[in-house]
Amino acid sequence: MRIQYIFSLIFFAFISVSYGQIENLKTHTQMNLDCKKCHICDTPTKANPCLILCPRNKLKVVRHLPEEGPENLTIDKISSDEDLYGPVNFTHKLHSEMSLMSGGCSICHHFNPPGKIVKCSHCHETARDRKDKTKPDLKAAFHRQCMDCHKSWEEKTECESCHSLNSKKIESTVKIKAEKVHPEVKIPQRVIYETDYDEGSVVTYFHNDHSSLFNLECSDCHDQESCANCHAEIRLESIKADPHERCSTCHDTENNCNKCHKSEIARPFDHKIKTGFDIATYHSDLSCAECHKTQNKFSGLKPDCVVCHSTSDGYFNHSITGIKLDETHVEFYCENCHQDKDYSRKPICNECHDDDISFPTSIPGERIK
Amino acid sequence: MSQNRREFLKTIAAIGASTAAISSVTPKKTIAKTEPFLSEDRKGVLVDTTVCIGCRKCEWACKGAHGFEQGDFENYQNDEILNVQRRPSTNNLTVVNKYIDEGTRTVKMQCMHCEHPACVSACIVGAISKKENGSVVWDTDMCIGCRYCMVACPFQIPAFEYYKALDPKIVKCDFCIERTSEGKLPACVNICPVEALTYGTRNELIDEAKRRIKNHPDKYFDHVFGEYEVGGTSWLYLADKNLAGNVFPKLGNNTAPGVSESIQHGIFAYFVPPIAVYALLGGIMWLTKEKETKKENK
Repeated sequence: MRIQYIFSLIFFAFISVSYGQIENLKTHTQMNLDCKKCHICDTPTKANPCLILCPRNKLKVVRHLPEEGPENLTIDKISSDEDLYGPVNFTHKLHSEMSLMSGGCSICHHFNPPGKIVKCSHCHETARDRKDKTKPDLKAAFHRQCMDCHKSWEEKTECESCHSLNSKKIESTVKIKAEKVHPEVKIPQRVIYETDYDEGSVVTYFHNDHSSLFNLECSDCHDQESCANCHAEIRLESIKADPHERCSTCHDTENNCNKCHKSEIARPFDHKIKTGFDIATYHSDLSCAECHKTQNKFSGLKPDCVVCHSTSDGYFNHSITGIKLDETHVEFYCENCHQDKDYSRKPICNECHDDDISFPTSIPGERIK
Repeated sequence: MSQNRREFLKTIAAIGASTAAISSVTPKKTIAKTEPFLSEDRKGVLVDTTVCIGCRKCEWACKGAHGFEQGDFENYQNDEILNVQRRPSTNNLTVVNKYIDEGTRTVKMQCMHCEHPACVSACIVGAISKKENGSVVWDTDMCIGCRYCMVACPFQIPAFEYYKALDPKIVKCDFCIERTSEGKLPACVNICPVEALTYGTRNELIDEAKRRIKNHPDKYFDHVFGEYEVGGTSWLYLADKNLAGNVFPKLGNNTAPGVSESIQHGIFAYFVPPIAVYALLGGIMWLTKEKETKKENK
């Protein structure tokens, strides 16, 4: 009887282990990953996954919105009654919303292989007296994670700002707020920088151009923000060593000084004025990258329709306008209908047809849009 | 009377000669006195000052572990005290001080538990000893309160019970030897909320410290304080700035007792210098005595 019981236990354990492996393999293969990114050996097993040593900041695949995470968490994994302080109520959603302005989820979830969110205790051991000293224990990991921001933000180390006191038997002093507390950040339209560059002291930065016209995400530029950047008494931003740093990720700040440095306040970006090609009529909905395929290179496109809209044999693909030309009309040159290649004017039909045939009553093909 | 003195000198010379003979066959122990006893697994603590938040919980726990009046731990959160530079005292074996120099850092201070302790060398009654596990401890009953260790210590750590009229003793961090012998962590290491203090074998801690410097060269000043200073210490420090000359005095890599011991031991090496001195004195006496007797005979 006992043997049978043990046998069934072993069988169950075997099944669950192998099933777990199959599940993991499935998700791993689906994601088309390089095995060597995480595993040292050729054939990792569940028992010996031979994972590389703490790949901090190298494996961050947390892609969630703050709403998808938990609202609030009680951190009590290491708490005991002998402790001076009680467990912490952590406003997870609030913090994840704040994190969007800096590094996102991965500031805290700094190691997360593809799949589920890995718990801190997955890597950080609960015992302080342990063999692996390369990463802090769980208690230290929690505290360091919080103190990193709270210290630079408040310069305070008061335990009670997060913990309740066990001796006083009082509830946590931290009030949990469900809704977003940070007021919506007002996006500036235009920022004018006065610089000490002789040949052009004024740099006009059109924030709204960058954020809406150029379709940049806030985090494309604001990836290293912290609460203190805005809320500290001395704004850290203003003491940044090189003010060009932020621009130079996209712009060549080494050579083209006078592109930004002008003697007076510059005008906002206008595609027509700047390039001669008016995008307002037909191309206003497009993002820059849809035409300018090479990243950060915004020159070299000719203002000819054929450059982007061509058929396989190199002629203009008229279907893009919403009218698919029939077999007869597709053979014509553009100027046969569009006088002087002026496409804003009404096309003419009476070069070939009688006056009773005119656009748009009659269409040289079929309307497809 | 003169006969007696002569006899006495003879005896001394005989003793000297025999001691010289004995000491010449026994192995010489000087600077490396503690080395043969130190275990490869001797312990240490790595203090990472870049993560220290200056909460002073280590001070609170230390007092508790040594039976001192702890006071209310909530009072420790008053960080104004950090602005005062404190030294370890008889009822506060460790202190956290704040240092402002291109940024602020809080640094915990206590006995460094040197590899070659100057206090052990200086103690005239042999009350202080370096244990196999790396800790430098002392025997209160043997201590005569001469305070030589206070003078000898390169880090000025030992404190003295000046307030006691009778039988004052030396007090300092004992590396929680009672706790560690029970398999527990030192009290300060145990309580630190951010694990700014890592307890382990000295060798593994040096490796870990170097790994941290290598991985975060922008975060750390490239030096493990205590690896080589005064011949090495059990407590090792990592910081964003050079701690030598700021938090700690600028110390060479020679062992602290190295210089003093070489002089002291040199004077008595193989008992040759004392014998030479006595021989010289004896010779002078002999010669002058001969003259005197001659004079008397005349």
